[in-house]
Amino acid sequence: MEHAILAEHLAVNYRRKSGETVRAVKDLSFEVHPGEVVGFLGPNGAGKSSTLKALMGFVSPASGVATILGLPAGSERARSFVGYLPEVAMYYPYLTPRETLRLYANLQGIPRAGLEANLTELLGLVGLGELGDRLNRTLSKGQLQRVGIAQSLLGEPSLLILDEVTSGLDPLGRRDLRELLLSRRDNGATLFFSSHELSEVEMLCDRILIIDQGVLLESRVLSELRSELRRYGLVYRGGASMVGLTDRLEELENGRVRALFEDKEGLLAAISRIQNGDGEVLDVVAHDGSLEDYFVDVIGRAA
Amino acid sequence: MKIRVWTALACSVLLESIRRKDLWVVAILGFLIVASAGALGMFGLEGLESFAKDLATTVVGAFSTILACLISCRILPDEVRNRTLYPLIARPISRWDLMVGKLVGAIWTTWIAFGMLCVLTGLSLVMFNVHFEWIMLQYVLCKALGLALICSLGLTLSVYMTPSAAATMCCILAFASPMLVRALTMAYDASNASLKPLFQALNLLLPQVGLFDLGSRAANSGWAPVPIWVVGSLFAYAVLYSLGSVLLGWLKFRNQAV
Repeated sequence: MEHAILAEHLAVNYRRKSGETVRAVKDLSFEVHPGEVVGFLGPNGAGKSSTLKALMGFVSPASGVATILGLPAGSERARSFVGYLPEVAMYYPYLTPRETLRLYANLQGIPRAGLEANLTELLGLVGLGELGDRLNRTLSKGQLQRVGIAQSLLGEPSLLILDEVTSGLDPLGRRDLRELLLSRRDNGATLFFSSHELSEVEMLCDRILIIDQGVLLESRVLSELRSELRRYGLVYRGGASMVGLTDRLEELENGRVRALFEDKEGLLAAISRIQNGDGEVLDVVAHDGSLEDYFVDVIGRAA
Repeated sequence: MKIRVWTALACSVLLESIRRKDLWVVAILGFLIVASAGALGMFGLEGLESFAKDLATTVVGAFSTILACLISCRILPDEVRNRTLYPLIARPISRWDLMVGKLVGAIWTTWIAFGMLCVLTGLSLVMFNVHFEWIMLQYVLCKALGLALICSLGLTLSVYMTPSAAATMCCILAFASPMLVRALTMAYDASNASLKPLFQALNLLLPQVGLFDLGSRAANSGWAPVPIWVVGSLFAYAVLYSLGSVLLGWLKFRNQAV
């Protein structure tokens, strides 16, 4: 199987109560490969949730096609391989987390034999071991999110589609979730999730997709993007010319100069010039660019 | 496989209803019935057995019909409003299965409420030495079938309109059905040949809820139970009408964006 998710020219429309049609997603094409961890980024109202809903079959695309693991997106068969976490996790207030998971396990068709042991294990895995028999209505937002995460992991799905996965979780919860998701990836699962927490995205993803106003703006492999965003700082003394290498120079005290380079080649050339001109290299620093700056830049350019 | 899905959905509806203390409403209604019977008993029920039974079946019938309307009209819209629908339809189940499971849950809840009302009312009448005949069991059975039909109607209406509009419409259809049927029959008799098929079609579409109410018959002493084929026909009608009704709801719900 070549694609875990394939979307081709996907368009999703909504009709408002006033009768006006809103184009939430316009001609969106992308693919997610098996075993990949892909972050789906975009500002509020960009069309992320609409895309995920179309993939799950909650809304019918106005045009275009989408497949999940080679099966038509939204079909019952496709959904049997997918674990889905909705954007706002709400679960029956008068059921307990264990009863909630049991309900979904029954709908999923998970064999009854050993089910209770599996549920206990899953509740422990998401940190709800001791809260499994309390009513959902008594749980906090973060604890409910954990119920949501647990239900998405039921039946060990091959593909996880998670909408705002870190919503409501505290830093410890986020760390646990990260470890949990990475362990699922190590077991061969594909992860496709939307999030506004770019630091989480940086730590988890192999690739990111950025959309805005229903249009795909960027699809970048994160390791490539990181090296592209990396800047090199050099502090030196001496009169070496940096013409043609960088114009980002800053005079410091005691005759020191700080120069910033876009790439490693520029940095090496600058070091060579300094050393040939009797100068002295005092410090070399690599600065990793932030995904947040890049995200803001991409969205700003598209606006 | 499907039975497991329907049962799981229905059990969750029932469990939520019980824990939400929805059935407390029924208990309070039951208490009111018992208290009213007690007040009536002060004056003595001698010679008023038929009246007491008629009153009891009317009150129980009305309360359970209202409950059936309210429960069934709320069940799907609440899922959408509370956003509990998404994790359900993300599972490998069809929307038809979802509707059937929810309907079964609504029917079970309504039947339990109806059963509670029947037991409480029955006990309060027994206290005053009112005797019941076998036809009373037929009344319970037929009324339960009628309530199932009302639940399917409420569920379908809630797909096409807001929950409050659906509940109002469902109550109107459930309570006014005998009157509407009579009006249609009169209109049919008075109309010319070209309009007759229209009235026939309307009569076919209208839920014949009145057929399921054996209350007046059961209230009279000495009346024989209705033939078994009548109960069988009512059962078949309830199943077919409910199936058709849910199918109509599913036609809209299956592709509805949520």
